[in-house]
Amino acid sequence: MAAAREIVIVGGGHNALVAAFYLAQKGLKPLVLERRAVVGGAAVTEEFHPGFRCSTVAHAGGPPLPSIVRYMQLAKHGLEKLESPVRLFAPSPDGRALVLASDPSAAARQIEQFSKKDAEKYIELHKALERTGAILSDLLTLTPPVIEKPSKGDLWKLLKVGRKFRGLGKKEMMRLLRWGPMAVADFVAEFFETDLLRAAVAARGIYGAAMGPWSAGSTALLLLRAASDPFPVGNSAYPRGGMGALTKAMAAAAIQAGAEIRTGAEVEQIVVKDGAAAGVVLRGGEEISAKRVVSGADPQRTLLGLVDPVHLPPSFTVKMQHYRCKGMAAKLNLALDALPTFSALKNSSEGNAALAGRIHIGPGIDYLERAFDDSKYGDFSRAPYLDVSIPSILDSSLAPAGKHVMSIYMQFAPYRLKQGDWMQQRDALADTIIKTLAAHAPDLPGKILARQILTPKDLEETYGLTGGHPFHGELALDQLFTMRPLLGWARYRTPVKGLHLCGSGTHPGNGITGASGANAAREILNDLR
Amino acid sequence: MPKKYDVIVIGGGHNGLVNAAYLARAGKKVLVLERRYVLGGAAVTEEIVPGFKFSVFSYVVSLLRPEIIRDLDLPRHGLEILPLDGTMTPMPNGDYLWRVNDHAKTRRELDRHSKLDAEAYDEFAQSMVAMCRFVKPILGMIPPDPTSLDPRDWKKLAFLGKRFQSLAAEDKYNLVQLMTMSAADFLDQWFETDVLKATMSASGIIGTFLGVRSTGTAYVLLHHYMGEIDGAFRSWGFSRGGTGAISSAIGAAAREAGAEIRMEAPVARIMVKNGSAQGVALETGEEIHADAVSSSVDPNLTFLKFIESRELPGYFLEEVRRYKYRGSSGKVNLALDELPNFKCLPGPGRHLRGAISISPSTEYMERAYDQAKYGEYSRRPYIDMVIPSLTDPSVAPPGKHVLSCFVQYAPYKLSSGTWDEQREAFGDTVIETIAEYAPNLKDIIIGKQVITPLDIERQTGLTEGNIFQGELSLEQLFFLRPVAGWARYRTPIRKLYMCGSATHPGGGVMGAPGRLAALEILRDTGKGKR
Repeated sequence: MAAAREIVIVGGGHNALVAAFYLAQKGLKPLVLERRAVVGGAAVTEEFHPGFRCSTVAHAGGPPLPSIVRYMQLAKHGLEKLESPVRLFAPSPDGRALVLASDPSAAARQIEQFSKKDAEKYIELHKALERTGAILSDLLTLTPPVIEKPSKGDLWKLLKVGRKFRGLGKKEMMRLLRWGPMAVADFVAEFFETDLLRAAVAARGIYGAAMGPWSAGSTALLLLRAASDPFPVGNSAYPRGGMGALTKAMAAAAIQAGAEIRTGAEVEQIVVKDGAAAGVVLRGGEEISAKRVVSGADPQRTLLGLVDPVHLPPSFTVKMQHYRCKGMAAKLNLALDALPTFSALKNSSEGNAALAGRIHIGPGIDYLERAFDDSKYGDFSRAPYLDVSIPSILDSSLAPAGKHVMSIYMQFAPYRLKQGDWMQQRDALADTIIKTLAAHAPDLPGKILARQILTPKDLEETYGLTGGHPFHGELALDQLFTMRPLLGWARYRTPVKGLHLCGSGTHPGNGITGASGANAAREILNDLR
Repeated sequence: MPKKYDVIVIGGGHNGLVNAAYLARAGKKVLVLERRYVLGGAAVTEEIVPGFKFSVFSYVVSLLRPEIIRDLDLPRHGLEILPLDGTMTPMPNGDYLWRVNDHAKTRRELDRHSKLDAEAYDEFAQSMVAMCRFVKPILGMIPPDPTSLDPRDWKKLAFLGKRFQSLAAEDKYNLVQLMTMSAADFLDQWFETDVLKATMSASGIIGTFLGVRSTGTAYVLLHHYMGEIDGAFRSWGFSRGGTGAISSAIGAAAREAGAEIRMEAPVARIMVKNGSAQGVALETGEEIHADAVSSSVDPNLTFLKFIESRELPGYFLEEVRRYKYRGSSGKVNLALDELPNFKCLPGPGRHLRGAISISPSTEYMERAYDQAKYGEYSRRPYIDMVIPSLTDPSVAPPGKHVLSCFVQYAPYKLSSGTWDEQREAFGDTVIETIAEYAPNLKDIIIGKQVITPLDIERQTGLTEGNIFQGELSLEQLFFLRPVAGWARYRTPIRKLYMCGSATHPGGGVMGAPGRLAALEILRDTGKGKR
């Protein structure tokens, strides 16, 4: 039998690749084991119809932390950022539309058509998010402290964040403390009077979560996201070649640094000997021994699926079973013969340029809340919230000349249906999404050449996301920071010695930022020191 | 001009009276001004139907702080609390869930529904008590300011930190969850019987515009769990003579200590000069001067109605306007010819002596909330009923009964129509809902009083009919209540204080805000002359 490897990494998603790079950089030779034929996890570009490629699951970046992009030299490895001058286009049923440019003052001028007051407030919100974001972004790269017994290092880091926090001044400090637990519907109402604008901003607080805009704590999620990008409605930058190009660049960087990547290698079991991780067993029986195992898979898959429960304290297992990880999201990818015509853009000077960013379907707070209501009782939304992009407008490599791909993120589709199962309901879901879009772009159905629908069940089965949760577990107040995934286990370690977590189920665990992977690598290196 | 009073207390609700009693006991010359003909604010007993005494709004006690009962010697002033025996939840399938104060009995009853839940129930109770012990001192604490560098604030925060450390590991975990989760999610971790979870989660939403699946409701669950009579957590009771008897007892204690109480004396404005409160002017035009003013009414009335906006900093005003009320509950009080007859447990019996809860499933509770979100009252609401006349015969003629129904959700702002138009229909919905479980109800009603959030506002002055003077949501608690930076009973106007439920630790017939505010006023002004 071969000598034990220093480190084996389960899964080849973006966080695992970031961790692999950081570990390889320090001279370790991590082996990344990816179940599928492609690396990238949920950040992949796949051809879903001949000639048509798109980011099949995640279609917008977190965005990746600039420090990680720089450190990994991703640009050198082929990452090219495409940025649309229009960030967001939000049509409304009354035929009007909100078109928000990337430049905040230009966006404010566009908002003036709806409300002068909102235009001013938009700039104010942008600035407020910049200020709070500067503080919260420090938290992203921090290992959550142990609440019970913070170490000196923890206290020092927290003190540093605390000092920055104090720099905000009393009024803003209090405001930030007040905002955190609030419902995002209340938060946006403090700034805007236009319902469409309120909804477009509030969507950022519910994206990927089992929450509606009236759910308390949704503001925290918006603030967490603003820490990576202070623009009120989020970003609209894509890698050329789709999200897969990002993870490809990450993989290339990791390999160059000394990591090894094996695809088509599904880990079936994490071997534990004498309470410590000792390696993995692959599907087919191959055993790879290792001194440490790092899992990029979600916490439930890792600790309830891959580890034999006898190696875990029963109370830990019970808590892990209660970790909330039931997804609410689905994805529909369309191959289009031509661009659809949005009614709201007919009289707009922007024309199709408005479609190059993200398209927000969710014209009011009540609309978003009602979409959520359906899901609480086990139905998918009959009028869902959609976050759409047509990446082929900026990136012609994704579709044949003149044709397009449309990537539609849909919310809310509960993992567990009250009636029937996802095999029976998948077409009904796709039809509902298309019907919802067709209300704004009536010629869309006639332009569809092919479609790929990914239900929460598909996200689980194909992409390994337990419960179909795109973020490896609810981003709710009780599952964030020192509580992600569980209170007492937020430091990328587990009850099994030498078994680490590095995926989105750890802090900060939100979208494609890579921060979880980098934080985990830092902690592993600390342990090795 | 000679000042007749040291302190004027605006509002004769339970907090105003507690505040006045503590101040008077310390030797202050105190005047309480009450707008209505009856003392108590939302804690009143009124004879609406001849012969029947309704606890019009607030109808059970348990949160009243024991130190207040002791300090003010309330039993001597007529306070007598009669224990409420358990909670019965009728179910649509004809079954029921009936928990009583007798532990062994409750255990057998839970066993009938789920063996696992019967086990978990004990553990749950132990854990909740541990957490109540942790939270209890916070209720008696002036909130620290986490943004301040004052060592006194840090001492308090360190005290909380130390206490947290002293909790068992499991309790720490539970406490953090309790502060951040929804009641339904929290209970899901403990129990499997849906009707049990639904009934327990109900105390997480009482008085708030939140659903059982809304984050933050787990904390309110604890807030209510803390109900304490004779040191036992989670025991509730009636006050003999109705809830108004509590107010009368506190009023008597205040009077005995020397406080003066004027009825039917509505305040029109607070007089402010050079940024300092001078006294109040009544609606009659009469001006009364005092060294300090303590307002037990909510921030909306205090700062937006009684004070001219130019006297207050813009930022503060903005925050006061932002403070959320969102009344979500109504009340239906019924005078009954005989007892209601429940299908699940026919005939009279002990099950009628406790609370009766219409909360058959978590989904039922959540759907009730869904309607309210869009501005409609729930067509099948959550109802918490009591029949106080069974325990306290003094509130109804012999053989007859009072049925007091707390109803949620009834949003203050309706999406269509007004509450004046909808009042009758709302009352009928409540009666229909109960009649599904107790079919004889419609035939035994002698008289009724339907109270909408609008009526609560009109009669008690509580803005938007919020029974807690503002939502008990996380962003409006502790050092953030009612306005961040102004959580210590003081206001931007010198010598003007707040002492109502809109201050820490919030609503319920608890009295804590009134007492804590009195201690702060005494700290600022020194003890009185006597």
